[in-house]
Amino acid sequence: MGTRASLEIEGLVKRYSSDVQIGPVSFRVEEGEFFSLLGTSGCGKTTILRCIAGFETPDEGRIILNGERLDTKAPHKRGVGLVFQNLTLFPHLTAAQNIGFGLALRKVPAAEVGRRVEAMLELVGLRGLGARMPNQLSGGQQQRVALARSLVLEPPLMLMDEPLSSLDLKLRLQMREELRQLQRRLHKTTIFVTHDQGEALALSDRIAVLSVGRIEQIGAPAEVYAAPVSCFVADFIGSSNLLASEIVARRGEEVEIVTAAGLRLSARWRANGDARAVTALIRPDAVRLLPEGPDGAQVPNSFAARVVDVTFLGEDIQLRVTVEEKETLLICQKSAGLPKALSPSQSLRIHVEPSDIFLLSR
Amino acid sequence: MLRDSKVLKTAVVLIYMALLAPIVVVVGVSFNPSSSYSVDLHGISLRWYRAFFASSAFTDSLFMVSLPVALASSILATFLGTLAAIAIVRFRFVAREAVEAAFMLPLLIPSVLLGAALYLFFARLNMSGSFAAIIIGHMLIGVPYVIRVTAAGLVGINPAIEEAAINLGCSPAIAFIKVVLPLLRSSLFSGAIFSFIVSFSDINVAIFLAGPRTTTLPLHIFSEIQWQGEPTIAAASTIQIILVTLMILAVQKFFRIRLAF
Amino acid sequence: MSSQVIYSSSPAERRAAGRAQVAPWVWLAGPYALVLFLFLAIPLCNLVVLSLFRYSATSIWTPELTASNYARILDGFYIALTLRSLWIGAITTALCVVLGYPLAYFLARCSPRALSLGLFLLVLPLMVSTVIRAFGWIILLGREGAINSLLRALGIGEPLGMLYSEGSVIVALVQYVLPLMVLPLMAAIERIPLSLEEAAVNLGSSAATVFRRLIFPLSLPGLVSGILLSFTVSISVVVTPALLGGRKVRMFGNEIYDQVVTANNWPFASSLAVMMILLTFLAIALGLAAGARAGRRR
Repeated sequence: MGTRASLEIEGLVKRYSSDVQIGPVSFRVEEGEFFSLLGTSGCGKTTILRCIAGFETPDEGRIILNGERLDTKAPHKRGVGLVFQNLTLFPHLTAAQNIGFGLALRKVPAAEVGRRVEAMLELVGLRGLGARMPNQLSGGQQQRVALARSLVLEPPLMLMDEPLSSLDLKLRLQMREELRQLQRRLHKTTIFVTHDQGEALALSDRIAVLSVGRIEQIGAPAEVYAAPVSCFVADFIGSSNLLASEIVARRGEEVEIVTAAGLRLSARWRANGDARAVTALIRPDAVRLLPEGPDGAQVPNSFAARVVDVTFLGEDIQLRVTVEEKETLLICQKSAGLPKALSPSQSLRIHVEPSDIFLLSR
Repeated sequence: MLRDSKVLKTAVVLIYMALLAPIVVVVGVSFNPSSSYSVDLHGISLRWYRAFFASSAFTDSLFMVSLPVALASSILATFLGTLAAIAIVRFRFVAREAVEAAFMLPLLIPSVLLGAALYLFFARLNMSGSFAAIIIGHMLIGVPYVIRVTAAGLVGINPAIEEAAINLGCSPAIAFIKVVLPLLRSSLFSGAIFSFIVSFSDINVAIFLAGPRTTTLPLHIFSEIQWQGEPTIAAASTIQIILVTLMILAVQKFFRIRLAF
Repeated sequence: MSSQVIYSSSPAERRAAGRAQVAPWVWLAGPYALVLFLFLAIPLCNLVVLSLFRYSATSIWTPELTASNYARILDGFYIALTLRSLWIGAITTALCVVLGYPLAYFLARCSPRALSLGLFLLVLPLMVSTVIRAFGWIILLGREGAINSLLRALGIGEPLGMLYSEGSVIVALVQYVLPLMVLPLMAAIERIPLSLEEAAVNLGSSAATVFRRLIFPLSLPGLVSGILLSFTVSISVVVTPALLGGRKVRMFGNEIYDQVVTANNWPFASSLAVMMILLTFLAIALGLAAGARAGRRR
């Protein structure tokens, strides 16, 4: 550590009423990083973004960009790029005029404006479309113009408020790819707000998961997925099976837990502390189906299970099973790997690796 | 279904005929060769139009009073009303709704009362019958229409567009001028025309505030009717009707006219 | 009108960011507020004050407080005048309700092109000057007028003396005020989804039942607005009764005009004006209360 972070948020607080408050929120975004603020609506992610852009004023806290205080500056002097959720192109200007808007404000000579706008159109894949009006462009094209309009000013920081959520699914996935490539190419520090955890996982270098105005966890996608620090994060990112349990035996890192319904599992307890009450998190794709046979009994955490219902999702199959008539688990497996057609009331053997059971203290 | 009912359609046609009948007969009488208030179906004559343009009382009331007053009052009304509409729609402040209601008062107060109150007020200031008096009176009754029209237009503009302009480097005022005003053009235009029509057609305020030099066209028509004048009245009225019709058509082109009411 | 704030800023926030102390809305709303104060508030106060002063034949008014002007309104003549104005207003409004519903329903349900033409034809008579409308009715209803000419052509005997009666005033007022009833009513009916009507028909309702049990109850807020507008306008007219009512049918507005301009009895005229303001505000208050109740019942 010790490198200058590009953006620092310190103790940001925004109060809306006596019981609704965003923050205190603190985090750092490194230079060139793609940083996502992820959460459901109302969690404060857009508020934080708008505080950075200057359209909301925090009640407490500081925002520091490249070493300078940003929160004391008027919004039109902050020089951070902002891409909105609802396409906010200026309807009375062409795409090229939209992109050149900020340059014209800064009194850049017309010839240079033209050159930079052309270069930007090329960069976002809209070559030749500069003369079109916004209503002559598709949703995806408009979003690219909005992106170009901010990028052409070469801001130190890009802010994006759910820019892809108004696009349809296929387009969204395509734009997601392009966005990621563009950001990597320009090495542009980006803060991205979204409620879509798949999007956050796919795009980000780091994710901050927010709930009700506070940051629950910050980490790389794999870390947040595999090692959530709270049930909220565990439940929000990916799907999960959460079982309330008690630790009944310990041998170093290996523990034995009993769920509320009486199921005994072996797991790993990596944290310090003497907690007894825990929540066991098991990802649906971590539950394996075992072939029938006597070897099944030797594997740790193997149980008899009965299928409750089956949902065919194409590539995946989702199963809900009752384990030893005690707990219900959701299992997600690739259809290709399953031995035969499954139906309700069928008996199976399942197994979970102890290291795949993640324990959160309650 | 109710809307397909022939009874309904017939009723609607009859009601429209009744609504428009007075205007139609006025136009009809204006072409009447003879001097009575009747619609002559046999001949068309332009003598009353010639009489209109030959009468300095009529032409003065139109060209020297009504049109200039309407122009001046609508410009003022558009200016004041647009600023007021921006304040009401785009800002949040204490008692905003009370202010909004207060701004609409000239609409709620019957124009005869406005006329009387202003007459008494200007009489005290020795301004009776002046151009300023009637321009002010007409401006007052025009502003609420401008506010309604402009507010409706503003509400339709995504406020995030201003934020985008601010983010790109404009101060809030410049952002508004560069990005919102161009989009408000049709509302501004419509509001201006509306307040023009309101001034041009007004009679209740004019009967109080007009003087010998500031007699508007409707007022002159009024006195001519009372003195049982020639069908020149009909020609004058038809000219007014045509001008108002053209203006309403212009507004309809740019704006949803019902939002003004 | 809803508020769409770009970014709200309290004085503390503005100070912290180094911006102007006076909120921008003051500069924007200020000019018109000032104009309203100078040319509406002050003249109205002047009016109220004048109504309490004593009339003087020599100097029009003397600064001597008196309630005599208001007492005079309680005189039989003026009570009759008030009642007549209210009566004409009520009849006009009632007729507008009856005629307004078909028009409003039609416009609410028709095609956009028909709507465009329909609105134009509705708004045109409203925006043309009152004198022209009144003149048109004189032409139509006069002894030499269009209707009588038609009757004569059909061989029907005596020409009808239709002018200078309450009837002619009411007819002309209905034609004036009908658009003011139709517009809010139309807006209210538009908000009733057509699918509701279709559902009712599917369940067996006749057209009349659809109106009675669906359209009418659900359009009440618009009806209340329309009634309010129609009534307040029709009790305060001046030119229409002046030209079409003759000496017998005079309304409140005529009296105010005469007292101000002809009799120069400003104090009394002011008291009449104050009475009209009170009547108007009473009507508005009742209308708002009724509107609130109609809104709640939904």
